[in-house]
Amino acid sequence: MRRSVLDQRWAGYAVAALSVVVLTLLLKIVGTHVNAATVSLALLLNVLFIATRWGSLPALFTSILAMLFFNFFFLPPLGTFTIAATDNWIALLAFLVTAVTAGQLSASAKRRAEEAETGRREIERLYAELRDAFERASHAEALRQSEKLKSALLDAVTHDLRTPLTSIKASITTLLDEARGEPPVPLDSDSRFEMMEVIDEESDRLSRFINGLIELARIEAGELHLRRRWGAVDEIISTALTRAEPITRNHHVELQVEKELPGVRVDERAVSEVVYTLIDNAAKYSAKGSTIRITARRSGEDLIEMGVEDEGPGIPGGLRERVFDKFFRATRDGDVTTHKPTGTGMGLAIAKGIVEAHEGRIWIESGNGNKGTRVLFTLPIGDEDVVDDLQYSESKVSAQ
Amino acid sequence: MTDRPRILVVDDEPQLTRVLRTGLTSRGYDVRAAADGLAGFEAFNDWHPDLVITDLAMPNVDGLELCKRLRAVSQVPIIVLSAKGEEKTKVEALDLGADDFVTKPFGIDELLARVRASLRRAKAPPMNEATQTTLDSGDFHVDLDSREITVRDKPIHLTPKEFDLLVYFIKHAGKVLTHRTVLAALWGGNYVEQNEYLRVFVGNLRKKIEPDAATPRYILTEPWIGYRFDPGPTT
Repeated sequence: MRRSVLDQRWAGYAVAALSVVVLTLLLKIVGTHVNAATVSLALLLNVLFIATRWGSLPALFTSILAMLFFNFFFLPPLGTFTIAATDNWIALLAFLVTAVTAGQLSASAKRRAEEAETGRREIERLYAELRDAFERASHAEALRQSEKLKSALLDAVTHDLRTPLTSIKASITTLLDEARGEPPVPLDSDSRFEMMEVIDEESDRLSRFINGLIELARIEAGELHLRRRWGAVDEIISTALTRAEPITRNHHVELQVEKELPGVRVDERAVSEVVYTLIDNAAKYSAKGSTIRITARRSGEDLIEMGVEDEGPGIPGGLRERVFDKFFRATRDGDVTTHKPTGTGMGLAIAKGIVEAHEGRIWIESGNGNKGTRVLFTLPIGDEDVVDDLQYSESKVSAQ
Repeated sequence: MTDRPRILVVDDEPQLTRVLRTGLTSRGYDVRAAADGLAGFEAFNDWHPDLVITDLAMPNVDGLELCKRLRAVSQVPIIVLSAKGEEKTKVEALDLGADDFVTKPFGIDELLARVRASLRRAKAPPMNEATQTTLDSGDFHVDLDSREITVRDKPIHLTPKEFDLLVYFIKHAGKVLTHRTVLAALWGGNYVEQNEYLRVFVGNLRKKIEPDAATPRYILTEPWIGYRFDPGPTT
């Protein structure tokens, strides 16, 4: 910062000299109306002013100059530096001591104030530097975490894309070799059929995975379009069960739906998808012949609670939140069991997105007798005043 | 009891084991499959296969651990199935004793070629280091006593270290050798991180033995992993 001329120390001495001369002149003009005490007080004030503005040395200079002017112009005999009366000597000495002391004290107070100000500024500067450094570090850490997460997600996605591709590529090259007449032992019709079956199944798996990715991306971007309308819970379950028939053939399916459940204002297709995902998981991760229980009941005034329960190995408490993370699979990433995961690791993440878009909640508990897995979710019944004036009223709901 | 070569496939993807079982069986191999490293190791002990094909990422005992356990009890050839981007794991598997790797997704022909090469290497009579005085492999003939080498019947002059390196490659022809493995074998355990040593010697060796050093056909680079030596046509 640029210092002004007045901030220079020599300016202090110049102002000191000038102020004493001007003050003396003024006091001399009013002359007869002022006594020695008034003059000394006026000169003292000047010393204080110089001390607070320019510090101790200009103040000392002002004190001595003021003392000399006081003596020369105001203490008899006037116009000389000699002093006749003893009390005037005492007055002059008292003036000098007071002027020097007051000057030094106020200069010291000024210095302290300046030091305190400098200290405050330094603390502020350090604080700002620390805050910037902390923000930079947090930002870098956040970036690092985000990169790590991206890389982990990319690994998961590429693994899930590459695995079915490998089976397809190996099958098709085997069939191609046979078609070219290359293997010494031609494939029998069963083997050929098996290869084609693998290609078919793995293509479906790829397709499911890509559809899941699209659905997840929509949920994450807040672009899940819910077509809410009044519907019946048992119909939603029935739709999911019909779709799940091929995968539940080897299980007992038990339905426990409370009587006289109110209608719910939801996107039936989306909620049915949630129920299907839970049934699919239950069928995948529990033994053939075991029971899959589907429940629906009223929970309090405003909620419907639905659930799917299996008799599989269950999910440990520590993993019950994480299974809703995309691409997380308890059987692989959590190493719960030797069961082979055949899912995409996206089903529960999508189910959570759909439930939360309906302002509901989804969670996992242990099944009956602390065995198996019970996935429960709630849905608000909906405001009965809302009437669907359109068959498909569309509302855009942001996923949380 | 059949005299067909036995192959144990260890992978947690049932679809892939189905395909490999059918593809390999149709080529005359006797195939068994296991869903993870633990089941794979048990199947190995029960059945004593001639070759093991294993995935790397598996629940319970993974492919790396399986390589380690197998190497502790056997010299059976191991081919690992890996994915692009898993170079670190691949190197680890090779250092733990795997002989080769195939990157997913792969065609059945590539896998079959690797299977044949691994079985051929395993069948070759073991070299008796103490009494053997010559090496013949593809285009290469080596006289270990006089330290003379001919490539495509032309004598070449190598420095002592280049000679040792080439002999090491010939003795491990067809096998993927990690930088670490070669450095440890020729320079000792303190030099396993000095990839640049190896790069310089391999560069010099290529200039002397390859018809075109820019597109090598004998010392093949496995990016990020190491080298594979192909001695050329076996007649």
